[in-house]
Amino acid sequence: MIDIIFIVLSIIAISGAMGMILFSQTIYSALSLIVTILALAGVFALLSAPFLFMVQIIIYAGAIITLLLFIIMFLNIKDDNLPSEPNKMTTIFIGAALLLPFNILVLKAFYTLPSKPMHILGKDFGSINDFGMELFRSWLVPFELISMLLLAALIGAVVYARKEKAND
Amino acid sequence: MIDSLLAYITLAMILFSIGFLGVVSRKNIFVIYMSIELMLNAINLIFVSLGRYYESMQPQVIAMIIIAIAAAEAAVFLSLIVVLYRRKKSLNSDIFTILSQKDSHE
Repeated sequence: MIDIIFIVLSIIAISGAMGMILFSQTIYSALSLIVTILALAGVFALLSAPFLFMVQIIIYAGAIITLLLFIIMFLNIKDDNLPSEPNKMTTIFIGAALLLPFNILVLKAFYTLPSKPMHILGKDFGSINDFGMELFRSWLVPFELISMLLLAALIGAVVYARKEKAND
Repeated sequence: MIDSLLAYITLAMILFSIGFLGVVSRKNIFVIYMSIELMLNAINLIFVSLGRYYESMQPQVIAMIIIAIAAAEAAVFLSLIVVLYRRKKSLNSDIFTILSQKDSHE
């Protein structure tokens, strides 16, 4: 059962990603990325990470990509504003050929690990309780640094927007 | 075979490769940004599957931190794109190599 769900989610994720790099309209690319991210949220649920499943849906699909969609619609992009990409497919094929050895190397490295069943664990692993314990015991300093980073990003975004107004 | 670590790693590597190809082959700055997000997601998937493999919670915490960094990146990157698009009226990443204000025709 998990196999079937995993295969379906993988096909959805990969087709969404292919659509993202193949569509020439920006808004279709963003919608394809949402499809990929929701499928990946399902894969996180299969990997007994319920908290990341929710975070992926709420923060990634709900906040980041929605912000991206807002910006795309807000900019009111016409067709002649889009860059022309005449040799897109050639670059994709050449890049895929160049990436193949790298992928084989990584997969070979992971192949040496002993195989282990990856069924969904129940209550003894992956709950939000475990997550919070781990976060606030071993990762407290990075957690606080993240808040500083978010504050810096907020100030940076405000500064960019304000500078543009002064120019007009 | 499907239900093991290698399947998840394969999916993550395929998504990472697609993201890399998007960065290399496209000129639309939004698609480049989305490809970077896709690569971050693929790395998250590798972290979480290794965490499930070793039954450790640490990779999930790292994945959440990566998501927070992606949110911060989104705010700065998108405001930067709004400013650049208003100046140059284009989404071509080649045009953005010149950031000087004198070259903008207002």
